[in-house]
Amino acid sequence: MTALSITRRGTLAFLLSAAAFPVAAQDRPVIATDSYPLAYFAQRLGGGDIDVLFAVPSGTDPSFWRPGITDIAAIQGADLIALNGAGFSTWPTKASLPRSRTIDTSASFEDRLIRTDTVTHSHGEGGEHSHTATANYTWLDFSLAMEQARALADAMIRQMPDRASRIEMEREALLADLASLDADATELGQGAADVQMVASHPRYQYFGAAYGLMISSVEWDAQEEPTDAQWAALQALQATTGAGLFIWETDPSAASRERMSALGLTNVVFPPLAMTPTDGEFLELMKASLERLSAALK
Amino acid sequence: MRSFLATLTVLVWATTALAHQLNVFAFVEDGIVVVETKFSTGKVPVSGNVRVLDADAAVLHTLPLESDGTVRFPLDPDAAAKGITIEVITSEGHEDYWILTPEDIARGSGS
Repeated sequence: MTALSITRRGTLAFLLSAAAFPVAAQDRPVIATDSYPLAYFAQRLGGGDIDVLFAVPSGTDPSFWRPGITDIAAIQGADLIALNGAGFSTWPTKASLPRSRTIDTSASFEDRLIRTDTVTHSHGEGGEHSHTATANYTWLDFSLAMEQARALADAMIRQMPDRASRIEMEREALLADLASLDADATELGQGAADVQMVASHPRYQYFGAAYGLMISSVEWDAQEEPTDAQWAALQALQATTGAGLFIWETDPSAASRERMSALGLTNVVFPPLAMTPTDGEFLELMKASLERLSAALK
Repeated sequence: MRSFLATLTVLVWATTALAHQLNVFAFVEDGIVVVETKFSTGKVPVSGNVRVLDADAAVLHTLPLESDGTVRFPLDPDAAAKGITIEVITSEGHEDYWILTPEDIARGSGS
């Protein structure tokens, strides 16, 4: 009788626990993000208890991603939708998102966003007009990344108060890591006051502004070899600025690396990490980029 | 030097957020899809075309914009089940889109 009771109890316990697994899986909160840094922050803050939805396909620039209907439906269903803000991605303005569950993580420092130049052009019957713009790789100022992480943590706590203590604990660890990046970048900047740099893409406005780095840029397609005209434009920029260092957002070909060296520019690879990296994670990759840049400056 | 600066300016423009653009919004009301368009300057496009795509990106309709920058058309029940995408291109060459998911359509249809 006792044995039977134990067996019955055990069977009941097994059935209950087996039934609990799919329920638990369904109950895991989902946080949708529009950039890899926010996806990384959400994953860290959730401490493994949440699912992160960063739907942008590998190799696609999140700023230009056009989601499908099923992508938007999944994002609409997330418990929290965390956006970089500063106009980083366009798709949030192309569909209805639940206002109460959507946060702009750069809203608290809107007054610190970097306005870029404008361009005047004309087409059709609209006549000449101007486009104004905002730089949007905000997380490359690691103090702003900390503010974004705080905003995300606050929103997560509001949406999932039962996980508040875990999120608060993870937030402190994440902020400490970002503060460490900020300290490293600050130190790097102090040793690079007179160094002119050129970047392969205009991604580094916040990095330059935060750490006192003089970074101008060209716009080279990361997937293609620069053309002769682009090399010529770079040489013109080098002559104007006196740049001695070139920042690549992705690893260049051996030929491009050699040609850059021949121009007297030191190659440094510094992925801004808007997209999910194929290897490694945000923190270690940023540290490695800072170390490469620091070594090139010595 | 001027051409160099102009090139730099264009480069900056191409990779940063644009404040001047076409905005499209669509919703469903009583079985009718209503599409509204406006430039960020507040002006309404004078003419253009609206393409309605199903969930497989197949074109269901192509309709001209009305002079007030809107278009209305009846919702296809088959397309409603999987959602639709509205694409607008104005005669000035600006374009934008809006996605209506099945949930958006159900809300607008009072389901």
